[in-house]
Amino acid sequence: MGVTCVSQMPVAEGKSVQQTVELLTRKLEVLGAEKQGTFCVDCETYHTAASTLGSQGQTGKLMYVMHNSEYPLSCFALFENGPCLIADTNFDVLMVKLKGFFQSAKASKIETRGTRYQYCDFLVKVGTVTMGPSARGISVEVEYGPCVVASDCWSLLLEFLQSFLGSHTPGAPAVFGNRHDVVYGPADTMVQYMELFNKIRKQQQVPVAGIR
Amino acid sequence: MPVIQTESEYKPPVNGSYFAHVNSADGGCLLEKYSEKRHDFECALLANLFASEGQPGKVIEVKAKRRTGPLNFVTCMRQTLEKHYGNKPIGMGGTFIIQKGKVKSHIMPAEFSSCPLNSDEDVNKWLHFYEMKAPLVCLPVFVSRDPVTTGGLFVPLFLPRAGVLSPLADAASMSGVRAVRISIESACEKQVQEVGLDGTETYLQPLSMSQNLARLAQRIDFSQGSGSEEEEAAGAEGDAQDWPGAGSSADQDDEEGLVKFQPSLWPWDSVRNNLRSALTEMCVLYDVLSIVRDKKFMTLDPVSQDALPPKQNPQTLQLMSKKKSLAGAAQILLKGAERLTKSVTENQENKLQRDFNSELLRLRQHWKLRKVGDKILGDLSYRSAGSLFPHHGTFEVIKNTDLDLDKKIPEDYCPLDVQIPSDLEGSAYIKVSIQKQSPDIGDLGTVNLFKRSLPKSKPGSPHWQTKLEAAQNVLLCKEIFAQLSREAVQIKSQIPHIVVKNQIISQPFPNLQLSISLCHSSNDKKSQKFATEKQSPEDHLYVLEHNLHLLIREFHKQTLSSIMMPHPASAPFGHKRMRLSGPQAFDKNEINSLQSSEGLLEKIIKQAKHIFLRSRTAATIDSLASRIEDPQIQAHWSNINDVYESSVKVLITSQGYEQICKSIQLQLNIGVEQIRVVHRDGRVITLSYQEQELQDFLLSQMSQHQVHAVQQLAKVMGWQVLSFSNHVGLGPIESIGNASAITVASPNGDYAISVRNGPESGSKIMVQFPRNQCKDLPKSDVLQDTKWSHLRGPFKEVHWNKMEGRNFVYKMELLMSALSPCLL
Repeated sequence: MGVTCVSQMPVAEGKSVQQTVELLTRKLEVLGAEKQGTFCVDCETYHTAASTLGSQGQTGKLMYVMHNSEYPLSCFALFENGPCLIADTNFDVLMVKLKGFFQSAKASKIETRGTRYQYCDFLVKVGTVTMGPSARGISVEVEYGPCVVASDCWSLLLEFLQSFLGSHTPGAPAVFGNRHDVVYGPADTMVQYMELFNKIRKQQQVPVAGIR
Repeated sequence: MPVIQTESEYKPPVNGSYFAHVNSADGGCLLEKYSEKRHDFECALLANLFASEGQPGKVIEVKAKRRTGPLNFVTCMRQTLEKHYGNKPIGMGGTFIIQKGKVKSHIMPAEFSSCPLNSDEDVNKWLHFYEMKAPLVCLPVFVSRDPVTTGGLFVPLFLPRAGVLSPLADAASMSGVRAVRISIESACEKQVQEVGLDGTETYLQPLSMSQNLARLAQRIDFSQGSGSEEEEAAGAEGDAQDWPGAGSSADQDDEEGLVKFQPSLWPWDSVRNNLRSALTEMCVLYDVLSIVRDKKFMTLDPVSQDALPPKQNPQTLQLMSKKKSLAGAAQILLKGAERLTKSVTENQENKLQRDFNSELLRLRQHWKLRKVGDKILGDLSYRSAGSLFPHHGTFEVIKNTDLDLDKKIPEDYCPLDVQIPSDLEGSAYIKVSIQKQSPDIGDLGTVNLFKRSLPKSKPGSPHWQTKLEAAQNVLLCKEIFAQLSREAVQIKSQIPHIVVKNQIISQPFPNLQLSISLCHSSNDKKSQKFATEKQSPEDHLYVLEHNLHLLIREFHKQTLSSIMMPHPASAPFGHKRMRLSGPQAFDKNEINSLQSSEGLLEKIIKQAKHIFLRSRTAATIDSLASRIEDPQIQAHWSNINDVYESSVKVLITSQGYEQICKSIQLQLNIGVEQIRVVHRDGRVITLSYQEQELQDFLLSQMSQHQVHAVQQLAKVMGWQVLSFSNHVGLGPIESIGNASAITVASPNGDYAISVRNGPESGSKIMVQFPRNQCKDLPKSDVLQDTKWSHLRGPFKEVHWNKMEGRNFVYKMELLMSALSPCLL
């Protein structure tokens, strides 16, 4: 477990999502990365039930329940800017029981699937973000294994990202923050994914060329 | 102050009277108790009497504050009563207390007046007056008015001996001359049987005439002699008073009283009395007899008598009673003895014929049993403990009936027997051994089959218990072996494991063979014979055999816990880390590492490797220690080891210089495949399992130790170290490690000693002398000045073997001290 940076790769002009992904993976393969199966991150949105809201004008907070194939036995529940709960996969069953408090937003399921590449100490995951039947964008996750302190290896990560993302290299993720010598954890990765998914959801009205 | 309780049916008469009089000696008051002086119930000529039944009732309380007129307290009371009741005379008695103040009171003189007292004045003169201080308790008795015109307070009375005075309903006063009518009645005519809680009394019906007569007749003791006529008469007299109906008038009583008090006047008085009473009796007897005879007036009833004990000879009686009680005791004892013998015989019977059912019950306590058809089957497999071995492990319980009833029952006879499957009979064990590889592969698979004597059954545990335990052990050994052979086939290793017959052969290290074999000997003769021939148990590795059993049980536990144990719905029941893997977000690699499980064979091979490596290391160190004496080598083994790791501390020292030379301390961590050596300064060297490596390493360390020792010694002796090198790049090349060297100079700089020590070449010691001490040195043309002669000259080698001293460091010390300048 190391430090992870999740970013969005814009779809190249005049190409479909699929083609852009292929372009990226080819780049990685050329670099010498080894293909290591697939990965999947999914996210479901819940909003607090109207009955539990106290007074008018108070808007319900959104809760995101996420799974990551990298952590196959865990389930993550996050609030925006709020706490992150890590639990067993049995948490999903619990959510069904909590229908009275949290209601699943309709057609809110968003997920990213793709291939997992190992390149020395780096773990690269390039995935297609889909919401319902439609592909919405491309996610790129890069993990640097040997380090757990984000500020110590961010420049290394940046350099690696530049090598295959070129001009689309993202800035430092917000979760890295100003914290020094704070141990990076799985929850931070999930927060990055949540932010990415929210960003893509907002973009949905913008027509993306070449939707499958 | 008379206080008298009169005699009644239930109570004896008590006289609790006090009398107070003026002490003639000092004129003070003398209070005495009447009963202390006299024991009768007589009274003086004058008395104020108040009689009551002693029962609670209504009283009148009067409070008086002070005197208001000429009349005294009692007179006022009398007048008040008189005013209320008029002509009716009312008597009153009780107590009053004078709480405060003084009282003028009179006390009669001890003697009555000799002359008549005609006026009050005379009376007052005769009386003595005293002033008395409060508090005073007074007991007044008075009557509201005189029933007759004249009278005084004093009422002389002759009290009857028995009977109770009624409350002063009627009071009489007499002047002492005239007789006054006094009515006296019995306290109660009927005897009180019981007093109810509400105070009502139930009375006994008065006895009828005949009953009363019978009772009285019963009281008469006819056996008494005739000399007690008088007493009898008195008794009869007393009895007569008990007759309720007997109208004994007051006059009669008075008369009798007079008679009683009369002294005997003439000598024939007693004779007359006796004669009179005899006559009376005779008359009475005659009357009675005539009445009885006529049967007109009275019939005789049999008198119910208290059954007097039959008058027997007291001795015979004693004997009889003793005999009777003894017989009773004997009977009890006999009954107890009978019961005891019965229980003893029952016990013996139970012991002899332990019946089948009780044995079955005991069997049931230890083994699983079930009934199939008309058979009782048991289960000796470890399936319930988590075993997955497919052997059914069933035994059958049978009744042991082949017993000759006529013959004596053998001691170890058991009515219950178990029949175990034939393949589980006998005894079995797993044998693990490590051998140097046998050159001949042909004899593989012939494993020593020797029979261990069956473990003797514990005293008290039945025959079938040992039998079943042995069978269970065979089953477990078979399971272990089956598991091992399955793994041996599955696991891919560089040198494949060989499974032949009942043996598994593996090669943990080259030229080394680990063999695990299942030795199962049935009870037939052939194998026993075979066993006696070949018995070489010295190459057993009992530790590994034991560990195999532990491992299979752990394996059982794992399967049991993962499959069968109840677990919470939220998490799998298993390892704690496994449970936490979800909430702590373990990634794939971590979960994989948790799930990887080694097989039985892999574990046991690892353990065997470790054991082998450890024993070989110990042997290497020991052989070095015994071979090389000069630097000594010591090994301290730790007592507690892991199955895969143990450690030893190796110290290299010189004898006699342990305190100075402590440079070499090594910690050897012996693992499964390799030995890690941790130096004192933290250097870590990893050695392989080859023993030569360890030996070479230790040799080089020992040679370095010598040079280190010289350095330490120089420090102590005050010599200067000129140069020091652990690894010298000059001189002959050593086959093992490197030579090390040191050069030290004497304190004044004249001499220098150079030491070179190699693990193989040994030590070489050279001494450098000042030039002026070298005679054979040719005169140099360059160094003319004498001052140059103080320079050190060439080296000369010391014949180290010829040096005195028991070891290297000691020799060096001698050499140094020889070369040091004499301080004198």
